Amino acid sequence: MTKKRTGVFVCHCGNNIAATVDVKRLAEEMTDEETVVYSQDYVYMCSDPGQNSVIQAIKDNQLDSVVVSCCSPNLHEKTFRDNAERAGISGFTCEIANIREQCAWVHKNREEATEKAIKISRSAIRRVAHNKALDPIAVPVTRRVMVIGGGIAGIQAALDVANAGLEVILVEKLATIGGHMLQLSETFPTLDCSQCILSPKMVEVSRHPNIKLMTYSEVQDVSGSVGNFRVKVLQKPTYVDPEACKLCDDCVQVCPVVVPNEHDLGLTARRAIHIPFAQAIPASYTLDVDACLGLNPIRCGKCKDVCEAGAINYDMQPRTVFEEVGAIIVATGFDLYGQENLGEYGAGKVEDVLDGLQFERLCSASGATKGHVLRPSDHKVPKEVVFIQCVGSRDPAQHCAYCSKICCMYTAKHARLYKHHVPDGRAYVFYIDIRSGGKGYEEFVQRTMEDDETIYLRGRVSKLHRTRDGKVRVLGTDTLTGQNVEIDADMVVLALAMQPSKGTEQAAKVLKIGRDKDGFLAEAHPKLKPVESVTAGIYLAGAAQGPKDIPETVSQASAAACKVLALLSQDTLSHAPTVAKVRESHCTGCEMCVDACPYQAIRLLNGKAVVNEVLCEGCGTCAGTCVRAAIDVKNVTQLQIHAMISAIMGG
Amino acid sequence: MVKVEDIQQCAAGLLEKGQVKSVLGFRRGTAGAMAEPCTITEAAEAGTLVWDPTCLNNLALYLVKDRKQQAASKTPDIRPIGIVAKGCDSRAVAVLLQENYFKREEVFVIGVSCEGTGVIDPKKVATLLKGRSPSRVEFDGADGFKLTLRGGEMQVPAREILADRCLECRAASPALNDVVFGEPSGERGYATPFHAAKEALGASETERWAAWEHHFDRCLRCFACRSVCPMCYCPECVVDSTSFVIEPQTSAEEKANRIKWCERSPNTSESAVYHLTRAIHLAGRCVDCGECERVCPVNIPLRLLNTMLEMEAFEMFHYQAGHDLSQASLLSSFRDEDPNSFIR
Repeated sequence: MTKKRTGVFVCHCGNNIAATVDVKRLAEEMTDEETVVYSQDYVYMCSDPGQNSVIQAIKDNQLDSVVVSCCSPNLHEKTFRDNAERAGISGFTCEIANIREQCAWVHKNREEATEKAIKISRSAIRRVAHNKALDPIAVPVTRRVMVIGGGIAGIQAALDVANAGLEVILVEKLATIGGHMLQLSETFPTLDCSQCILSPKMVEVSRHPNIKLMTYSEVQDVSGSVGNFRVKVLQKPTYVDPEACKLCDDCVQVCPVVVPNEHDLGLTARRAIHIPFAQAIPASYTLDVDACLGLNPIRCGKCKDVCEAGAINYDMQPRTVFEEVGAIIVATGFDLYGQENLGEYGAGKVEDVLDGLQFERLCSASGATKGHVLRPSDHKVPKEVVFIQCVGSRDPAQHCAYCSKICCMYTAKHARLYKHHVPDGRAYVFYIDIRSGGKGYEEFVQRTMEDDETIYLRGRVSKLHRTRDGKVRVLGTDTLTGQNVEIDADMVVLALAMQPSKGTEQAAKVLKIGRDKDGFLAEAHPKLKPVESVTAGIYLAGAAQGPKDIPETVSQASAAACKVLALLSQDTLSHAPTVAKVRESHCTGCEMCVDACPYQAIRLLNGKAVVNEVLCEGCGTCAGTCVRAAIDVKNVTQLQIHAMISAIMGG
Repeated sequence: MVKVEDIQQCAAGLLEKGQVKSVLGFRRGTAGAMAEPCTITEAAEAGTLVWDPTCLNNLALYLVKDRKQQAASKTPDIRPIGIVAKGCDSRAVAVLLQENYFKREEVFVIGVSCEGTGVIDPKKVATLLKGRSPSRVEFDGADGFKLTLRGGEMQVPAREILADRCLECRAASPALNDVVFGEPSGERGYATPFHAAKEALGASETERWAAWEHHFDRCLRCFACRSVCPMCYCPECVVDSTSFVIEPQTSAEEKANRIKWCERSPNTSESAVYHLTRAIHLAGRCVDCGECERVCPVNIPLRLLNTMLEMEAFEMFHYQAGHDLSQASLLSSFRDEDPNSFIR
């Protein structure tokens, strides 16, 4: 084997690295390594002059391999590998030594940090000495997209992708698309009607020739990888044929079972056979099998008897459908933090204490009270209403540590809607501070305070309870005057924290994408890859990724759609060739790697493991599991790991 | 009470009918009371088989050896083999089957339940008899042994001379078997499972490290523990540079680039790497047959290392090696309810 000719390029990253690591000394000491024939340092290696200097050095010194000591490979590995290709050598002979996140940023002592940076760089040099110039694997692409979740995020993403000419499968867990936005009455900061702006989009989805809508369906399993996913979807039976159903409502009239209506958050009731709301898409009834007396004509069967169209079929079975798609957008949305978690606010058991979504249904023209604000207990117009912000949010000790972002705005909106419905009423808002960043948001809050005379009290509510005269006594403090406040309110509205929807955890598990500490879907990079998940080909949109309002959700959905379109605009995808490789002489066929592989990329053939290079993501789980050292990931071989450890140990 | 005639008849029957090419069992040894492993290939030899508390060895090892021999042979004989298996031996066979080392139909397990007792620890017997050795050790009732000595017999409660592994044994009858002799028996209440490992954990970290440093310092790197272990069947041992596999297609570069994860010289740190790596490679695979500790010429308490990992596997993942043939192996399986607080 001829000796490698490696070049080392040390980046200052402005002062990010140079302030803690002696970059000059680092660059100089690297020339002591046997394989290093060139080294240099530069203030921003990723800048245009920086990259050009790398190209120049490769050409001038006939380098065959490159080590860049800089930031995390997550950030610029691709940059420098592409750059190496431009200089005429394989990108896979370029390795990154992370001396920023793993060194400069976490240390203070310059001397020690420099020593560590030297070790990290040296280990990368030893590693790259064994790197092979690999060729990327070309993989054909399936030009179809799946969107999971039919809220505003999913609808927007599906429409954007479909309008660009790609086929979209929109999967929604409930019987209708629309999501939480459909439950809102008006939206801030313009106070336009939520249904009026969403319904046309829903209709567009149902009529779009490129969109295949699968409601009442759940994603159960995903295999394959970017460009070629195979998704298993379970379609639950609605027991009503949407084609035949004439929406006559006769079945509802005869159904004897009454249960709370989820769409109105329990403020109204519905029958076991029901249509979620009049404008539901698809426009059809659903038989709630959990509530139904039992799909058995002997026990009840009234709905089937009365249906003249013959649309009801008790024998409908769940259907499992497999869909091949190239990319997936996850928009599983949010749920409110449960009131039952809030003992101090009655744990959901005190009457006339509502959550924000229930209040939306009270204000909505299609809601429980046909748009009149009446309190649920006695249907009287509430004259004093207390709104409490940050309920469950910003409370690391007991509830969620994060800010739910939209509560300041929607509480202001609630207060205004209330004042518009009940002009002689009085609205109080308890707040910690007001976060109204956004176009027109601050002005909106100011108008709530000034034009609509809402009383804002800075402080938290410690407790509330029901009084004998049918009011809700709210005990809080006003920290601006330093006084305790006691309000006998007719109604209390809690601005509950947003949390990832109940299905998000399951979706993340099935899709093998990460979640953050609060359970929201994790983006690949908070700044540079905000809509990408950690798994290639899976994108994120909406509140499942973090609390956000409608404008932001729509922007993110369109951004995700744009990423998908860019991905699927190519005929083939280039798959990283750093995949697992089996050493046949050592493989005993114990099948442990087959079980351990998260991508189902390994199988047993004639008693030996075989890797499907297209499916393999090079994660190395197999290499970690194999006790026989019979499987290696290319360019991260055990020999290389051994060389890296030796270098770090000073060998 | 297991009758040795039953085992002999079974072995003879299998050989006569040609169901197996050979039967792995125990016969009377040439030195003292101890039984020794044997392979019989003729029905007529079945009479030499014995069954008593000195049948210490894990015979699954010889299945592995046969497998290796057949793999290297030009005319491999892959007819099934019969094996006399105690609870621990059958677990070893189960793990080997789980790892596809051979097929279920290639082995006929003649299960023997240890019932109320188990096998002896020769060191404990020597201590008890102050150095004298018995000429015969037999089962005696439900929980005792009968030792024949020059000048008479003596009855000893099993508890006093049972091997440590038998004291802690949770499954004394072979769950995996084609035929089984003796009463089924699980935990016998001599000592709670993982008793020794838990007791060792009582010491402080410094004390434990000092103890293991002392043990590893003594290690000769004779590799007896590896040789006797039925799970150590890898063609190349990753922690031993003396066992590199060289095949016709092994390239010069591969030969040059072989990794020495640990050096050959038996110093404390290298020996520690050897033993700890071996212990980790046995996690979820070790069936606690105690053979490694028995054969160690310098008395390193290797069973402690291995049972410690078995304990973790059991307490964290409810996993017991060799108990269920159909379950995925510990290291390659993941269940949603596995404790994973460290992953987030």
